[in-house]
Amino acid sequence: MSKRDFDVIGKGVTRKDGPKKVKGEHEFADDLQFPMMLHGRIKRSDIGHGRIVRIDTSRAEALTGVKAVLIGAETPIKYGIVPQMPTEYALAHEKVRFYGEPVAAVAAVDAETAEQALDLIEIEYEALPVYTTPEEAMAEGAVKIHADNRFPGNIAYEADQNFGDVDEAFRNSHYVLEKTFKTSYVNHAFMEPHCAVSKFDTNGELFIWSTTQVPHYLHRHLSKVLQMEMNRIHVKVTGVGGAFGGKGEVSNNELISALLARKAGRPVKVLYSRKDVFLQHRGRHPIEMRVKVGVDKDGMITAIDYDGTMDGGSYGGWGLVILFYTAAMLHLPYDVKNVRFNARRIYTNKPTCGAMRGLGGVQPRFALESLLDQIAIDIGMNPYELKKRNAIGLSHETVSGQVVRHCEFRKCLDQAVELSGYKEKHGKLPFGKGIGLAGGYYISGTAYTLYMAYKPHSSAMIRVDNESGVTVYCGATDIGQGSDTVLGMMAAEKFGLPFESVHVVSGDTSLAPFDLGTFASRVTVAAGSAVCKAADNIMEKIMPVAAIQLGVRPGQLEARNGKIFSVFEPGKEIDFWKVVEKYIDAHGPLTATGDYTPPRRTGNFKGANIGHSPTYGFSAQCTEVDIDTETGEVRIVRVTEAGDCGQPINPVSVEGQVEGSIVMGMGQALFEEIKVGKDGRLLNPSLHDYKIPTMADVPELRTTFVDSYDPDSPFGAKEAGEGPIQPVIPAIFNAVYDAIGVRFTEMPITPEKVLQALDAKKKQEGKGR
Amino acid sequence: MHSEPIEYEKPASLREFESIYAAKAEDAKILSGGTDLHVLIKEKLLAPRLLIDISDLPELRGISYDPVRGVTIMAGTKIAEIERSPLVKEHAPALAFAAANLGSNQVRWMATMAGNICHASPAAETPPVLLAHDCELLIARQGGERTLPISRFFLSYRKTALETGEYVKAFRLPPLPARAAVSYRFKGLRKAMEIDMLNIGAYLELGEDGTSVNEVRLAMGSVGPVTYRAVVTEQKLKGMRIGEEFFAAACDGVVQEATPIDDVRASAQYRNRVIGVLTRRALEECLHRIGERRG
Ligand SMILES: Cc1cc2nc3c(=O)[nH]c(=O)nc-3n(C[C@H](O)[C@H](O)[C@H](O)COP(=O)(O)OP(=O)(O)OC[C@H]3O[C@@H](n4cnc5c(N)ncnc54)[C@H](O)[C@@H]3O)c2cc1C
Repeated sequence: MSKRDFDVIGKGVTRKDGPKKVKGEHEFADDLQFPMMLHGRIKRSDIGHGRIVRIDTSRAEALTGVKAVLIGAETPIKYGIVPQMPTEYALAHEKVRFYGEPVAAVAAVDAETAEQALDLIEIEYEALPVYTTPEEAMAEGAVKIHADNRFPGNIAYEADQNFGDVDEAFRNSHYVLEKTFKTSYVNHAFMEPHCAVSKFDTNGELFIWSTTQVPHYLHRHLSKVLQMEMNRIHVKVTGVGGAFGGKGEVSNNELISALLARKAGRPVKVLYSRKDVFLQHRGRHPIEMRVKVGVDKDGMITAIDYDGTMDGGSYGGWGLVILFYTAAMLHLPYDVKNVRFNARRIYTNKPTCGAMRGLGGVQPRFALESLLDQIAIDIGMNPYELKKRNAIGLSHETVSGQVVRHCEFRKCLDQAVELSGYKEKHGKLPFGKGIGLAGGYYISGTAYTLYMAYKPHSSAMIRVDNESGVTVYCGATDIGQGSDTVLGMMAAEKFGLPFESVHVVSGDTSLAPFDLGTFASRVTVAAGSAVCKAADNIMEKIMPVAAIQLGVRPGQLEARNGKIFSVFEPGKEIDFWKVVEKYIDAHGPLTATGDYTPPRRTGNFKGANIGHSPTYGFSAQCTEVDIDTETGEVRIVRVTEAGDCGQPINPVSVEGQVEGSIVMGMGQALFEEIKVGKDGRLLNPSLHDYKIPTMADVPELRTTFVDSYDPDSPFGAKEAGEGPIQPVIPAIFNAVYDAIGVRFTEMPITPEKVLQALDAKKKQEGKGR
Repeated sequence: MHSEPIEYEKPASLREFESIYAAKAEDAKILSGGTDLHVLIKEKLLAPRLLIDISDLPELRGISYDPVRGVTIMAGTKIAEIERSPLVKEHAPALAFAAANLGSNQVRWMATMAGNICHASPAAETPPVLLAHDCELLIARQGGERTLPISRFFLSYRKTALETGEYVKAFRLPPLPARAAVSYRFKGLRKAMEIDMLNIGAYLELGEDGTSVNEVRLAMGSVGPVTYRAVVTEQKLKGMRIGEEFFAAACDGVVQEATPIDDVRASAQYRNRVIGVLTRRALEECLHRIGERRG
């Protein structure tokens, strides 16, 4: 596929869900109502760790309006998003592992009755020690949070990878810097809380509507936990009001709604409160990382040594995968020949960490971009210069075997630096004002799958007829990022039709063919490839028909503006729909499928198959801050971003992703932190006390694209959903350093920490004199 | 705490409200905007048997001005109306500013200033400004009314001087003398939707010479169980001349009188330090406003 003048791609279209969302017409799970529908609520543990001794539900069951009460013993089937390592139950079974864990559930005629019933359930626990930090959980003699865990103590998983000769490289380095970094416990804070509605029909088939990123994984889990054949389960994704990874594994409310619906014999909705969302969590892993980087006298990176301890919370979730993603993320976007990775994920008695936008990348990026900034300053080089020298070129293979087929990272650095005036500003602004630069990248799809099978990662089916127009069926899930729009645009471009005439049916296991789900920034490339292939297959069927009609060879034909015409004699043209009609008259239904599987890659080390991607997105950001040195307030003034997302399919959507990433990263850099009491209780599980940025905090955002086109991708596109968050945090930290000369290594940078650091600095300087 | 359903009444007139409240005040809670009350009920921190909704009582709405009595704001007036009122903007701009920084637009169209002071949180937005204005409260009950300076309204954490059966009917902000101004400063982690880590309302009145200080009021929030004035400092500042010495005395004094604690929002140490910074900025702003008023 080559770059050309597109009619739809890159033009920016109005998303079909846009006006509907603005008018409140877009249907979310909580909008669904069924006759006889019950409301489910969850009884949660009020201790952080302990054995369940007794549960008495009799008083709850006796309450008028209660139709079913469920406890963990009724559903003792373990599951987990990583099927080889199941650790979780729909409702706690025998043991609770965090404060607020679901222990029992009630379905009642209304939510108030269900809530009242929860208060009537009596649970007796035998308390165990509560570990809220990896340090406590790893201490000598600590109780195992998971008795059957095969690693020592509370280590959920360990990993080590070693490429080249790191020690030797450090010995030969001109300068080596080591620091310990700490990231915080943050939640996605998506707008729409989880909600699922389950309904069994008279034939015993289950229909579930849920706000999920992964309908096909949910399908599989439901089959396992409910012990039903998959073909009797129908998963339907409703509107999704944001997810960012938080709806990227099965959530307890989904299983509970199905189990309650089965028990009560009536449809059941289980809607989470914001507090429930914080308890379901699956947010970013806090990591304490000791990272060491060496450079030679030209500033070329000689080696990276990483040692990290991830606080995993109480269950497995995506943890194992994220651990290895973190390992993979050390290798780019710079050319590094010697890399060592040692890390472990630890169980603690807290809500489980999991996938969150840019998973595996955000924490090491924070450490590495901070270190590189400091190293450059220490050796008297401009950080831009150092990063540019080390940046990978147009294509690259890392020492760990990751293949980058297309990269415009250098252009990103140049453009962000140029547009922001970084070179003129860095090191030259008055005290309190600063500018910081950071680079980043992310995978654009994943070669890894949790299905132990060779089935395609994405598949699509297209049906074209004169009654319904073009319908694209695809298992990919639009979680608000706009994949329905992007997939529809691709089909429209292929057929030479306006975007408006293409319908996309997605996120429905009964209607659309299989797709892994929405994560790893994979949908545009993977599902896009499948849709393009299906569209090509349609064209292959109808072009011969058009060719006969026009009396030319099929190879000369092109579809554009609703017509099929000869590229040599544009006068020889025929209406697209006329050709479809002729085809159907002659051959019957016009359908085709397409599928996509990324190239499989591996190596002979543990975790070698995780972290490979068909292609990668890159970005660089220059961030300017203004610090009130009397109150310690850090204000972000401007962020200039230059991104390589390949060809932007819908540029407005890309800008939305970038701006959202910046605001999200900014929240983590400056405000956000879930606070946990000694007993494991969350202290701020509300959006009142857990502070995400508001519109008033949003700085001037300058979002730009670099000229880029990945010739092996559908219409040259790569990712923009998770790459742009990678540089945000280190760019802010680097800007803060430029402003006040303090190197923060811990998130978030609160006003208090700024004042303390300024005091300490003053003291230090006083001593120096 | 009981678990029976909460009853709800919505009187159509002030008279009807007063009689219901007189009869049932013990078990009832007044419902204005509900932006504090409903939160407490949902969190199960409060379980009144009866809610009396006064949110639509026409007699409790409105803002007026009279050169002698100043600005009168009826208790049921929405925060958003205070924020937008030309009268408030002209005669009490700091109050309009504080109102504009309470919660979100949605919250401001529900919330009332009476609810804000009756909830009596030390972090609330309007009390520092009201204290700086030395606002007078009109407190009423069936068959009677009294006035109370707001400086005597806040007794302790979430406790006010209202007696059973009494309610807040109106706020009166006396007219400002010629060389006087009020300002408001606050500090939160983010720029909106914040429960302040700190806030301060300042009143500064200069003598005819334009440099001597006739009177100062400094009302601090989030540095103690209630919003309160730094009265010792206020006395000390009286008669001083505007200048570095005055500002330094104000900052030091305020820090002396602040009694903050550590909580999830900020440490005591941080509050002690920054309350001084805010005080200086608030007083500087008063000076600036006085300058502007005199053209
Ligand atoms: C999202 C959100 C953000 C917020 N942000 C802020 C903020 O930034 N700053 C801030 O200060 N507050 C904030 N609040 C708190 C709240 O909005 C304010 O305190 C508001 O002014 C309360 O007014 P209301 O009319 O809603 O009071 P209600 O909730 O109706 O009542 C509060 C209390 O006052 C009593 N009461 C109400 N009216 C009277 C009366 N006339 N006489 C006697 N008693 C009365 C009630 O019985 C109740 O005890 C926020 C609240 C929310 C939900």
